[in-house]
Amino acid sequence: MTDVSCETGVELLMDYLEGEVADDMRSMLESHVAGCPKCTAFIASYLATPRILREATVAAMPPEFQRSLLAFLRARRGDGSR
Amino acid sequence: MPVRDEATDEALASRAARGDNHAFDEITIRYQARIYRLACRLVGHDDAPDVVQEGFLSVYRNLASFRQEARFGTWLYRIVTNAALMHRRARTRRPVESLEVFLPEFDAAGRHCHTPAELQVAARADELLDRRVLAEAATAALDRLPELYRSAFVLRDLEELTTAEVADVLGVEPATVRQRVHRARLMLRGYLGALAGVRP
Repeated sequence: MTDVSCETGVELLMDYLEGEVADDMRSMLESHVAGCPKCTAFIASYLATPRILREATVAAMPPEFQRSLLAFLRARRGDGSR
Repeated sequence: MPVRDEATDEALASRAARGDNHAFDEITIRYQARIYRLACRLVGHDDAPDVVQEGFLSVYRNLASFRQEARFGTWLYRIVTNAALMHRRARTRRPVESLEVFLPEFDAAGRHCHTPAELQVAARADELLDRRVLAEAATAALDRLPELYRSAFVLRDLEELTTAEVADVLGVEPATVRQRVHRARLMLRGYLGALAGVRP
């Protein structure tokens, strides 16, 4: 079986994770990663990136903006619902 | 405390389109926190309130065009994402340095140029960095992503829509979403690594 490079593995990583690579390529990628500590480390950081960004960018809507948003929309609709 | 309406999003949208303002209030209350968070991620905290207002107003004005076979949430995300895009384009922003420099590097044989420890450090960025510093850096990093990558990454990885839903919101093929999200992840991964002390 022909090995794939780290670079090829990185190029195909998202497709691999979403089940979009053919079975033979999937096998080659898994075989490469199993013997490549660099790719194993790279994948760990790749997988952690969305979680870290997600947790770091959670924004809570200020209560005063909740009130002003409803008031703004009601005024623009021209209705007096309260 | 007002009584919450348990109707589906689609039923509320149908009622709101027929002039039921309480139904539109319920839609607003149901989605406002998610839409505010989405807007913060797409345009930053300072501009998010404007985008939220513009987005909900646009939803209200376009209720008649909502097709009941579509998911209301996806339709709402599409309108707000477009509002964010228009808002960004209307604002004069100072040029920002591209995140391309944080893409992974390979030698001539296609092997990673860094050690496993260096390659993995981005995964520990939240342990190594002060929470407030990381929050500010993360917001700045999203701002530095190329436009196409930002919206795909925010919707897919931060708002956790499926790839198919993001494709629907952005009006592109799922393969295009995967390509954009992947590119964003690579840049942001390198950026986190650099923040934690290692070049990509």
